[in-house]
Amino acid sequence: MDSISYYLQTALNGILAGCVYALFAMGLTLIYGVLNFVNFAHGELIMWGAYFLFLFMGEPFGLPLYAALPPALAVTGCLGVAMDFSVFRPLRRANRLTLLIAAMGLSVFLRNAAQFFWGAEVRTYGLEVTAGLRFFGLSLTMPQIAIIAVTILCVTAVYLLFFRSRLGKSMRALSDNLDLARISGIDTRRAILAAWVISAVLAGIGGILLALDTNLSPEMGVINLIKAFAATLIGGVGNLWGALLGGLLIGLAENLGVLFVSPGYKDAIAFVIMVIILLARPYVIIGERSD
Amino acid sequence: MKKFAVLVAAIAAVAFAAAPSARAADTVKIGAAFALSGSIAVYGEGFKKCVDLAVEEINAKGGIKGKKIEIVYEDNKSNPKDCVTAVRKLITVDKVPVIFGPAGSSNFMATAPVAQDSRVVLISAQGAAVGLTRAGDYIFRVFPSDTLQGPHLARLAISKGYKKVPVMYVNNDWGLGLKNAFVDAYKKMGGTVTDLIAYDEKKTDYRTELLRASKGNPPAIVNLTYINEGAVQFKQAFEMGIKTQWLCGSAARAPKMVELAGKAAEGVIGTYPAVPQNTKAYQAFKEAYKKKYGDDKIPIFGDYNYDMVYLTARAIEKGGYTADGIRKALPQVARGYKGVTGDKTFDDERSPKFAEYGIWVVKDGKIQDYKK
Amino acid sequence: MDLLLHLAIVIAIYAVFALSLNVEIGYTGLFNFGHVAFFAIGAYTSALLTLAGFPFSISLLAGLMLAGLCGFLLSIPALKLQGDYFGIATLGFGEILRMVVNNEVWLTKGPMGLPGIPRPELFGLHFDTLPAYLALSGGMALATFAVLAFIVLSPFGRALKAVRDDETAAEILGKNAFRFKIKSFVIGSVFAGLAGVLWAHYATFIGPGDFTLTETILVLLIVVMGGKGTFLGPVVGAVVLIFFQESVRFLRLPPEWTRLLGPLQQMVFGLLLVVFMVFRPEGIVREKGGRRGA
Repeated sequence: MDSISYYLQTALNGILAGCVYALFAMGLTLIYGVLNFVNFAHGELIMWGAYFLFLFMGEPFGLPLYAALPPALAVTGCLGVAMDFSVFRPLRRANRLTLLIAAMGLSVFLRNAAQFFWGAEVRTYGLEVTAGLRFFGLSLTMPQIAIIAVTILCVTAVYLLFFRSRLGKSMRALSDNLDLARISGIDTRRAILAAWVISAVLAGIGGILLALDTNLSPEMGVINLIKAFAATLIGGVGNLWGALLGGLLIGLAENLGVLFVSPGYKDAIAFVIMVIILLARPYVIIGERSD
Repeated sequence: MKKFAVLVAAIAAVAFAAAPSARAADTVKIGAAFALSGSIAVYGEGFKKCVDLAVEEINAKGGIKGKKIEIVYEDNKSNPKDCVTAVRKLITVDKVPVIFGPAGSSNFMATAPVAQDSRVVLISAQGAAVGLTRAGDYIFRVFPSDTLQGPHLARLAISKGYKKVPVMYVNNDWGLGLKNAFVDAYKKMGGTVTDLIAYDEKKTDYRTELLRASKGNPPAIVNLTYINEGAVQFKQAFEMGIKTQWLCGSAARAPKMVELAGKAAEGVIGTYPAVPQNTKAYQAFKEAYKKKYGDDKIPIFGDYNYDMVYLTARAIEKGGYTADGIRKALPQVARGYKGVTGDKTFDDERSPKFAEYGIWVVKDGKIQDYKK
Repeated sequence: MDLLLHLAIVIAIYAVFALSLNVEIGYTGLFNFGHVAFFAIGAYTSALLTLAGFPFSISLLAGLMLAGLCGFLLSIPALKLQGDYFGIATLGFGEILRMVVNNEVWLTKGPMGLPGIPRPELFGLHFDTLPAYLALSGGMALATFAVLAFIVLSPFGRALKAVRDDETAAEILGKNAFRFKIKSFVIGSVFAGLAGVLWAHYATFIGPGDFTLTETILVLLIVVMGGKGTFLGPVVGAVVLIFFQESVRFLRLPPEWTRLLGPLQQMVFGLLLVVFMVFRPEGIVREKGGRRGA
């Protein structure tokens, strides 16, 4: 790989990573906006989404990739709702710290449940190895093309849902003020349910794309949660477009960053960005809820 | 609080009772701290098969002075901390005088001081890292040190005309040791190392490292890697369109690696401690393995584990069932002993003195010996 | 017998660790999710110095001081944050530290870890048998308990609780909340470092894998479940949880089961955390006159 291609490929990898992070961040910021807490278990929705696909593609279902996608995403959506029903709904009135700790516990539970069923080793979907398409000295594999296409699709779908539908309006109202929304007769239950389904499905889609591009591991959730959170902070809580932008920025920062530091620090870059943002903006977080 | 204390005491009593000691009458207990779960379980499971085969054979011939061998397996969960716990447990709870150590040089080296301090013999059948046995005189290995492999790998690179290579390696004792051995020898032979890229094990994504290694389109890349990591790397390199000659060490030379990497592994070359497989002893071993397990694909390092069991049995026979006895007897029984993996004479550092190195290649989806 | 000694030693070490975190979480309301970083700093400092030939007394002191210093440096920017953001920022710090330890091989031997850490020699006594080490760690635990109890029962401690419960009111009464928080954070960090030193010299091997999020969750669970804001709480939590975690290692189980044991334990820990947050956030040992909720 000659020098110019090297830098271009790095930037391309950054955008690809960024698309996936954007999907994660949008899901995370949605819950953050509507229910006002950081769902620390969001990483596990990502991871389980990928593993559900693995499940449906393996015995005893044995479905091909495209046939396994709908059930996998459906079950992931259910998992998100189940998480809310079992843990977060009982804590609806608790403070953010309690919710964060509960989410951390849930995250540990889900992560190890995956390890319990599938072991700690890295796994693949078993698809055949194919060389990527080459153009202008850059390489782009099929999963990577899918990442770009699916991200565009999801962003469009989210936009239509949020800004062009009644459900979206309800969710935005909840985002602003939960109690006020309740009083104004908005069906908060439905809106919250929808938020969880969307958040979980986005996480699942992102997780599947990530696993197609790299591989599956029970640990793949946690590090991506931090990246999603960092992206959420960049874009502002509850701000979907901000999350998209934040995701892309983190992806680019990571991949370009390792041109300067050792690759072992790649994941640290997102952490550092997150810590810097947190420390640099101590008082006002954009979109902080009024209640 | 009181109820609670009673509960604690009850559980403690149960646990205490549940842990037996090795003083039991008629078996010779040997400890084995293998990776039976976790990311390198693929190694541990293979070792167990070969160890069990050897034990079965020895027991069928009467065991050691009439007593049957029993292996106490402890799962080390593929990480150094649990390796230390496993070894500690074998020493304090099972009270064995000799332990077959874990795969993975860093895992082994974490446990070596524990064994040495407790004066228990610890043997490795696959640790190649330079300095593996330096923790003390209770630490042995039956697998050759990489100080011997480095020059062979360097010679391979030079002989194929690769005068400039980047070197990727696993960031641990094994990778570092082999990297240093290789780099030293390679430079002496006139080669230039263009880049050194250390990477973590167990990652799902190595494209950053691969991209950096392939910068400038080098005709060859030295990659000192393991089975799972190697498979991921070769696959991702293939997908990225990186075309280069991969040069590896011995740790990736496994059918599992080829299975995971598919056609991306085609053409990969490496060095390995060559064990002539056409000897009668090796063929007999292969036959016995096939008879017991149904296929003749000997797991990686399995043959060394097999030899380790036999050597240990002989040492116990000669020196008695104590750690000190075994420690003194091992070099004596090993001198000139020809196991399935060759002459097992120890050198001053309790590593094999003799080792030959061959070259392996992945051709037509199989691991074969490389013919120039 | 060895099993019981091992359990007692690990419980003592984690009691110190949990008590230190309790000063921050329970008494000052600072949810430090990166506490394991100071545990690691104490462990690595003492290990590296002892391996380099320094006497244990120096290594111990250095470990404590460096942990405290890092606590001080982190607290200044971090304490500007509230509640859960503070938690996440400290968590980020903890993970960043772990990655540094993992990558800077020249200093910490990275993922290979530091094997062969010697058992301590202090005042001419060599603590290399299990009972001896229990005496050492048990003694340290009692000392920690005494020191911290003294601190929290003092006016300083009451002020911490005041700051925790209502910062504005405390400020009105003339207490500089910020200064109190920093002091609390440093005290917590120093004792976390102590726990780290005790751990390193007991296990004789440490690596970056010992200081992950899993450790954070464990010590958090100990404090939260045991009962934060009390000084018996963390000890109770340590006894229960460490017992559960360590004793299972020593059961005789076939290998097909041991590979499931690790994840199963962690699942139980996660579940416990959730259950306690939902049903009993104050923990087992309740604070006198304390409030409900984390």
